Amino acid sequence: MYRYTPFNLILLVLSSLVLLFLVAPLLGMFLQTGVGEFFDTANDKEVQASIWLTIWVSFSATFLFAIAAVPFSWLLARKSFPMKSIVKGIIDLPVVLPHTAAGIALLGFISRDGILGKTAAVAGISLINNPSGIALAMAFVSLPFLINSARDGFAAVPERLEKAALSLGASRARVFFTISLPLAWRSIVTGFVMMFARGMSEFGAVVIIAYHPMIAPVLIYDRFSSFGLSYARPAAVLFIIVALVVFTLLRILSEIRKTPFAKNDYADS
Amino acid sequence: MLILKNISKKFGDFHLTDIDLEISEGTYYVLLGRSGSGKTQLLELIAGLNKPDTGEIWLDGENITKKKIQGRSIGLVFQDYAIFPNMTVSGNIAYSLSSGKTSRTIIKEKVSKVAAELNITHLLGRDTHHLSGGELQRVALARTLITSPRLLLLDEPMASVDASLKDDIKRLLRGLNRKGLTIIHVTHDYAEAVSLATKVGVIHNGRIIQEGSPDDVFRKPVNKFVARYSGIRNFFRVEYKKESEKWVAVCNDKIIFNVSENLYPKEGLLLLRSDDIKITPAMPSFNPGNCFKGIVREILPVGYGMEITIDAGERFYVDVSADTFKQFPLCELAEVWISFSPEAAIALQGAN
Repeated sequence: MYRYTPFNLILLVLSSLVLLFLVAPLLGMFLQTGVGEFFDTANDKEVQASIWLTIWVSFSATFLFAIAAVPFSWLLARKSFPMKSIVKGIIDLPVVLPHTAAGIALLGFISRDGILGKTAAVAGISLINNPSGIALAMAFVSLPFLINSARDGFAAVPERLEKAALSLGASRARVFFTISLPLAWRSIVTGFVMMFARGMSEFGAVVIIAYHPMIAPVLIYDRFSSFGLSYARPAAVLFIIVALVVFTLLRILSEIRKTPFAKNDYADS
Repeated sequence: MLILKNISKKFGDFHLTDIDLEISEGTYYVLLGRSGSGKTQLLELIAGLNKPDTGEIWLDGENITKKKIQGRSIGLVFQDYAIFPNMTVSGNIAYSLSSGKTSRTIIKEKVSKVAAELNITHLLGRDTHHLSGGELQRVALARTLITSPRLLLLDEPMASVDASLKDDIKRLLRGLNRKGLTIIHVTHDYAEAVSLATKVGVIHNGRIIQEGSPDDVFRKPVNKFVARYSGIRNFFRVEYKKESEKWVAVCNDKIIFNVSENLYPKEGLLLLRSDDIKITPAMPSFNPGNCFKGIVREILPVGYGMEITIDAGERFYVDVSADTFKQFPLCELAEVWISFSPEAAIALQGAN
């Protein structure tokens, strides 16, 4: 049973204040949004398109970058190499950069004068004001969440399991896909969800790269700056609800699918 | 045959230095050493998990020093078994065969066969999370044996097994060795070495300090470290002298041991095995060569009976079986006689 000592009471009050600070603005926003205007916004094609764009672009960015980022995380967890601490610092850089500054930096890289922009232009793709540019902006600011979480997951896999698999004749690639990856799976999924979530909520970097087509955070800002708070609020509430539903679903999926490569069963039973 | 020629390897601050080994086919080689002595590192070098800085490793006439681990045909069972927790027992055992090159029917047959040999057929469909130490041990062995290794490396295989299961595991390992499998078994436990080894090596601070048959190593230890490993607890610093045509060893000018004739150096350590010393309540009617009166200082129960500490000018540790202790019960401060033959005294040369 909880004992109401003075110290515990102080902890309780301080914790409640922090929680209130987090919950109150969101709760206020929900309470101030009328049911009618909420459903009007939910039926608004422009809002629907922007939320859908946000979800699929962030998911695609996370998925595509994960293909390279997950093996990179294994490398960081397992291998020592020169300037490893600098590499780890570079990975964390997007977290500390102002996101508008990140957007500006990325713009120089993907605009028609930049290396990637020029290369994309040759293939007839403009990365500016394009979902692919949005995906790059989202990935730029959210990659550390996936890499760091996956790296911690790989580091927690006992190295002797990988050594045992090697001694049983498995190739390095087979060891990675049958031992390291399945055992680090939870951390990788957590990192995946975090990167996806961070990408969805990104505004600063995306708005520099692509005001149009509008992702949900840009649309909310656009409605606020053009029409005011009451017009932006229902879109914000809708986006928050959709985001919560998507994260919850992803979490449930990751719980169900604990070990994707698990059962190599040759038993008679 | 496995041959290690002048193997050295640096692991941070620790070095394996100048390791030379020759292990012929069918040998049960036990490498004895304390934790941190380099036993596991040496096994990993042989298995191919690490490469030596210098030296060569030869197996059956082939230089495998630079050969990939996957091509060596050397099985390694880790100390904590390293069972894959994301697979069932059968998945673990079949791991080496499940890369797509072997048909499912053959895999199933081989898994069933090795599981039957190791008496774990009933575990095949089970998750590995709730298996006992002994069961995990058998799964790890089955997983390695299914690869038909030329050489089996065991890293402290009894470390996580209940005492009651150790005999079963020893029987199993002895059986594998009798079928012709060469085994290198690393342990810190002298009893394991005595009961399993056909050849023993003692490793200390990254160097193999003594090698030979168990009898050679434990009867004629080259230094105090090896002697301690073989369970010897009686060490006396002595000076050797020849008195009246007989060799004696004088300890601190207090005790004079009669020793068998030999070419002793001037001084050194004299060792006595605890079970070579006889203890009697009265002076023995037959003096085997050395006989001293002492006082019982401590009686400690041990696995096989009692360990009695006797003060006879120097401390002597004597092992007494449970039956003998029942017949002649002793108490602390009792006066007793200890006796042993001159041949029981082992001379260690030098100051070590």
